[in-house]
Amino acid sequence: MTPVPARPTGLVLVFWLVGSLLLAFIVVPLIGLATTQSGGNLARVAAMPDVRLAIWLSLLAAFLTACWAALLGIPLAYVLARSEFRGKEIVSAIVDLPLAVPHTVAGIALLIVFGRQGLIGGPADRIFGLQFWGTLAGVVAGMLFVSAPYTVNAAQIGFEAIDPRLEKVARTLGMGPWRVLLRVTLPLAWRSIVTGLTLTYARAISEFAAVAILAYYPMTAPVKIYELFLQFGLDESSGMALLLLIVSLALFIMFRHIARRRRVFVGAGR
Amino acid sequence: MTGTGLAIEGACLTLGRFSLRNIDLALDAGEILVLLGPNGAGKSVCLEMIAGFHRPASGRIAIHGRDVTHLPPEQRRVGLMFQNFGLFPHLTVAGNVAFGLHARRRAGHSQSGRSIAELLAQFGIAHLADRHPQDLSPGEKQRVALARALAARPDLFLFDEPFSALDARTRDALRDELKTFLREAGVPAIFVSHDMTDAVLLADRVAVIHQGAIQQVGTVPGIFRQPANAFVAAFTGMENMPPGRLLGKCDDLWRIQIADQVLYAQGDAPAGNDLLLCIRAEEVGLCVMDDAGCLGLQGATNRLAGRVTDAASLGAISKVTVDCGFPLVAYLTNRNMRELGLTPGLEVVAEIETSSIHLLTRDAAGAIALRSEPRGAGVVLVAHF
Repeated sequence: MTPVPARPTGLVLVFWLVGSLLLAFIVVPLIGLATTQSGGNLARVAAMPDVRLAIWLSLLAAFLTACWAALLGIPLAYVLARSEFRGKEIVSAIVDLPLAVPHTVAGIALLIVFGRQGLIGGPADRIFGLQFWGTLAGVVAGMLFVSAPYTVNAAQIGFEAIDPRLEKVARTLGMGPWRVLLRVTLPLAWRSIVTGLTLTYARAISEFAAVAILAYYPMTAPVKIYELFLQFGLDESSGMALLLLIVSLALFIMFRHIARRRRVFVGAGR
Repeated sequence: MTGTGLAIEGACLTLGRFSLRNIDLALDAGEILVLLGPNGAGKSVCLEMIAGFHRPASGRIAIHGRDVTHLPPEQRRVGLMFQNFGLFPHLTVAGNVAFGLHARRRAGHSQSGRSIAELLAQFGIAHLADRHPQDLSPGEKQRVALARALAARPDLFLFDEPFSALDARTRDALRDELKTFLREAGVPAIFVSHDMTDAVLLADRVAVIHQGAIQQVGTVPGIFRQPANAFVAAFTGMENMPPGRLLGKCDDLWRIQIADQVLYAQGDAPAGNDLLLCIRAEEVGLCVMDDAGCLGLQGATNRLAGRVTDAASLGAISKVTVDCGFPLVAYLTNRNMRELGLTPGLEVVAEIETSSIHLLTRDAAGAIALRSEPRGAGVVLVAHF
């Protein structure tokens, strides 16, 4: 028996109408941006070396950010999903904190800690020769601060949705906890994790304020757009803005597609 | 009960506010034990302790003669099955079965035994090899789970209410299949349940657990007819537990005063004079009061005069309540009730054999357990006899 879709009620129709306003609010400015640009102008902007460099830097830094978010955020998500401890509420609140902090504030706070004299920046410079102010590492730090919560939250939801009894069964079948994590838990949480990393990646590319304060140079795409706007005005900057939009959207759609694919790890356990 | 299959000695465990107290259990090779208890009694915790997910604070656990007290779950060689059978949704049927096989190979058993194909064929699931668990019926899921568990060659099977989400008909079918499988496999098994029917139909022996302690271990008839305490009696559906007072002994029989009646019972000497009389409703006979002269002890049967206060069908059987100075519940076949014309107000004679009365000494703990548990949990079960 195939379920017959219920006829939309008046309530759903009204809500569709209201929801469409929000959709239009999101889409119309982007279309507006697209229509101001001639193909020639777009090609001219795309050919500028510093524009291309900035976009490439944004993509690279966001990728590194997603890697760090995965490395540090997935274990935290697992702990939050699987164990009960005193102060768990507080830990969860800390994870979400970057979403509530204005990003200029985040940038200044990061600058204080990651600057050359900072609590982390000082020792990092002395021991590893790693500097954050005006470097790729600084860009990644700024991006990670504002975008890590998406990975932690999505992965946590993914882990929580897995019946812990599946992990127990796997243990009794002869696998240690680490193998169970690789063979059962991660494959089952995979879609949620990819969704979280996609959001982190997207958020990282779009970050302006925290990155601009901590690492204005090397210029990421949003910073470069801002500079073009200040120097040359709307025409120049909107060309690059559209270019960034196209690249970001293409990546976003690709990642969402990956996350939607079922059973990425089919055949695990063989 | 030699403990060749499983031996637990004095295992204690505390988990937050819950604790298992001094668990002793012994299973023979190939024996099926049903661990029976209400929700929150500690059944699942006990099972997970055996599987290795909780370490006992004291005591010892040996499976197949091997001390596993300090081993992690992956080294205990137990097959564990939960509700819905715990199949891995990201793997196919073949992948699930291979999981067990693979794990065993890793554990260093070079004689890898049977191949996946052989296992799938043995359980009649070869045609399902490429399906995913969500596309299987409950029966197919059970077979996949058993094949997967068997692939890892367990020394002990543990079942944690695998049937609790199924409808009655499916449950009956799967229970039969499981019993056949366990008999053939010859691997001992513990089956956790709160359903008396599982105990009756699966168990070689039953262990009743309550508040983290084993209350009684025995065969189904033994536990039904001679419960160790008031909790076990109430939990196994003992309908009649009137309080009585021991008067003395008379020709190997105990004379007991209950309300204004005197009953005679066989059995061991009770520890005190204040008693609970356990009389299973299915052991009470009723006949119409016509030969009024033969009340009291007749041979080995107590005959009490009473009046029917309630008579109702429970479906497969009928439940009749008789006031004999104390309320006495009897189970009859529906046909029996029709033939006797039992309706409220009718004068009847209730017959209870002296061997059908089990005496418990009334103590404070038992009385508390009795109050906190709903009585008659086994009513439906009796219909299966």
